[in-house]
Amino acid sequence: MLRYEMIVIGAGPAGLSAATEAARSGMQVVVFDENARPGGQLFKQIHKFFGSREHQARTRGFRIGENLLKEAEEAGVKVVLNAAALGIYKNKEIAVSFGGATRGYRADCIVIATGASENMMSFKGWTLPGVMGAGAAQTLMNIQGVRPGGRILMVGSGNVGLVVSFQLLQAGCQVEAIVDAAPRVGGYGVHASKLSRTGVPFYMSHTVVEAKGSDRVESAVIAAVDERFRPVAGTEREIGADTVCIAVGLSPMGQLADNAGCEMSYLPAKGGYVPTVSEFGETSIPGIYCAGDAAGIEEASSAMIQGKICAAAACNSFGYINDEEFRERAEAYGLSLSKLRAGMFAPQNKGRTDISHTAEGYPLSGSLLQRGYISQDEIEAFPAARPGSGKGLRPVIECTQNIPCDPCQDACAQGCISVGGDITGLPTVDGDRKCTGCCMCVAACSGQAIFLVDEDCGNGSGLIGLPYEFLPLPEPGALGLALDRSGNALCGAEVVEVRKSAAMDRTAVLMMKVPAGMACAARFFRPADGRQACRGR
Amino acid sequence: MRIHEHPIIEDFKKGREIGFTLDGSPMRGYEGESVAAALKASGVTTHRYTSKLNSPRGIFCAIGRCTDCVMVIDGKPNVRTCMTPLAEGMSVQTQHGLTPRKEG
Ligand SMILES: Cc1cc2nc3c(=O)[nH]c(=O)nc-3n(C[C@H](O)[C@H](O)[C@H](O)COP(=O)(O)OP(=O)(O)OC[C@H]3O[C@@H](n4cnc5c(N)ncnc54)[C@H](O)[C@@H]3O)c2cc1C
Ligand code: SF4
Ligand code: SF4
Ligand code: FES
Repeated sequence: MLRYEMIVIGAGPAGLSAATEAARSGMQVVVFDENARPGGQLFKQIHKFFGSREHQARTRGFRIGENLLKEAEEAGVKVVLNAAALGIYKNKEIAVSFGGATRGYRADCIVIATGASENMMSFKGWTLPGVMGAGAAQTLMNIQGVRPGGRILMVGSGNVGLVVSFQLLQAGCQVEAIVDAAPRVGGYGVHASKLSRTGVPFYMSHTVVEAKGSDRVESAVIAAVDERFRPVAGTEREIGADTVCIAVGLSPMGQLADNAGCEMSYLPAKGGYVPTVSEFGETSIPGIYCAGDAAGIEEASSAMIQGKICAAAACNSFGYINDEEFRERAEAYGLSLSKLRAGMFAPQNKGRTDISHTAEGYPLSGSLLQRGYISQDEIEAFPAARPGSGKGLRPVIECTQNIPCDPCQDACAQGCISVGGDITGLPTVDGDRKCTGCCMCVAACSGQAIFLVDEDCGNGSGLIGLPYEFLPLPEPGALGLALDRSGNALCGAEVVEVRKSAAMDRTAVLMMKVPAGMACAARFFRPADGRQACRGR
Repeated sequence: MRIHEHPIIEDFKKGREIGFTLDGSPMRGYEGESVAAALKASGVTTHRYTSKLNSPRGIFCAIGRCTDCVMVIDGKPNVRTCMTPLAEGMSVQTQHGLTPRKEG
C-alpha cells in the first residue's frame, strides 16, 4: 500500500493551499480530486473577488485558481485527477477510485477539502430538461463556453444566485427574474444592484411553483409565499423561460469525515452537518483535518487560509516546523481569516434579520433588501454616494453594507478613497483630494459600486463613468438610454468615451453624457441600436 | 448556443472540431469538451427517458453527481455525458430506460 505523509482530498482552493503549505515545509504530499480539472469552484468564478490585497481581492477567481495551481506545482505537490476518495478507514487508510479500479493508500495525516454540494428543491416539473443547478449553468457557460439557455429564471438571491445571474448576462443570456422565498435579498447588495440596473426584476417572498413544458422547460410559474413560505393561491404569474436555475444554498460535504468516525454536528451557521474541528481545523481524530466549504460554507478566500492553517498544524505535529514558527504562522493566518469573517454577512450573522443600520450608523436601504436596488432618497443618506460640490469628476460610491472588501482604497493613487483599517467599513471619499478621473477605482471595485460623476460638465450636460463588463462594448458616439438603479429608462444618453486598460482587467468604464440633473440617478447604458448587450427583461 | 465572444473569458480552450453521431444523425462538436456541452451547443436538451414514466431528463448538475444526463455512448448505457469527453466518431444515443432508443 502506497504511503504519503499527507493526503489531501479535493483540489479546490482549500486543498491546494493546504498541500502547497505542507509541501513547502518539506512534507511529501498528494492531492486527489474526482474531477478531471483541478481548482474546485474557482475556475467557474470569473468575477473580481472581495477581501483585501492579502486575500487577492480584485483578482478574478479563475486567475486566483491559476496562481494556486502554479504554486502547488512549484512546491512539488502531486495532484491526481479523476480520482475519487471513497472512504477513510482505520489507521488513516484511504480508498481511492480511478475509473473502475480502487486502490488503497495510507497517510500520516489527511486533509478533507471536498467542498460543498448544491441544495436542491422540488416543485411541479422540476425534473424537466432545462431545470438545473446554478453550478451546472456556471460549468456550461464559464468552463465549456456553452449557454445553458436563452431566457433564465433564477431561484435564489444569495451570492451564488446573484453572481451566476450576472455571469448569465455576460454570457449573453437573458435573466427574466430572480425569485427568493425570503423577504430580503440574501447576497451582497452590490451584487444585486449591478443586476437591477440592467433591468433584472427581483421577486422577493416568491417561489417557483411549476416548470411547464412537454419535453423541456417552456415557461415557469412563480407565486408569492406567506410567512411560512407556502405559496399563496391566486398570486401565480407565468414567466417565459427555457431554463430554471436553482441556487438555494450549499451544504458541506462532510461524508468522508463522518464515515471516518469523526465527531459531527449540525451547525446552521456553517450550512449543515460538519465535523467538529479545533481552531486549527483538526477533527476529533488526531491527524485528520477538514478545511474549506466541507468544514462550513464560506468563501474561497477563507478556504485558502483554512487550508494553510491545518497544513501548518500538521507540519508542526510531524516536526517539519517548530512550535515558534507554527505560532507565528497560525497567528498571521488567524488574523487574515478574522478580517474576512467580519461584517454583516459574516457566518455568525447568518439568518439574522435584525440588522437595521451599518456599523457607522447609517440606515440600511430597505429597497435594496426588498427590490434589489437602492432608492434615490435612501442613497442620499450615504456621504460617499453624494456627488461632491466641486467641478469635475468625483467618485460616487454606492457601497452601503458592511462587507469585507477594500480594493477601492488601494486603487486610488490620489488617496481620495479610504476604507480604514477595518475592511468591513464603508468607503469614504476625501473631498479635499483631487480626483484625476483615472477610473481605476471604478474598475477595481469588486462590487461595481463606484461611479464617476460630474453633475455639470457644461452645455447643460452631466457626465457619468460607469463599470461595464458586457459585449459588444459601445463605441464612442453610441446613442441610447440611461437606465436608473432599478433598470428603468431615465433619459437619452451618449457614450462619449470608453476607457479600458490592462490594469482594469476587462472592466471597461463607459463615460456617458446625460442631461444635467440626471447624473445622480443614471447608472447604466442601454444602446439604442437594438444590439442590446445585456438584458434583464 | 455557443459563446463566441465573452467579455471576460479570452479563450475557452477548445480542441479541434470533430464529428460524432446522435441516434445515428451526424453532429459536430469539439474534441475534449463534455458530450453534454456538445449536445447543449446543438440545442439538444433531452438525454434520456425514464423507464417507468417515460419522462425526459437532461443536464442537471453538470458535475457528475445526479446521473440525470446519462446516455448510451459507444453502445454502453448509463454513461454520464457531463463527465465524458467528446471524441471523434463517438456514437451517442438517447437512452430509454436502460437501452438505446429504438429507431423508427
Ligand atoms: C457562484 C459562486 C460565487 C462565488 N464567489 C466567491 C467570491 O466572490 N469570493 C470567494 O472567496 N468565494 C466565492 N465563492 C465560494 C468559493 O467558490 C468556495 O467557497 C470555495 O471554492 C470552497 O473551496 P473548497 O476548496 O472548500 O471547495 P471546492 O472549491 O468545492 O473544491 C472541492 C474539490 O473537492 C473535490 N472532491 C469532492 N469530493 C471528493 C472526493 N470524494 N474525492 C476526491 N475529490 C473530491 C471536488 O471535485 C472539488 O474539486 C463562490 C461560489 C459560488 C458557487
Ligand atoms: S477616478 Fe482615479 S483619482 Fe479619482 S477617485 Fe477614482 S482612482 Fe482616485
Ligand atoms: S466600494 Fe470598495 S468596499 Fe465597496 S464593493 Fe467596491 S471595492 Fe469593495
Ligand atoms: S448532469 Fe448530473 S451527472 Fe451529468
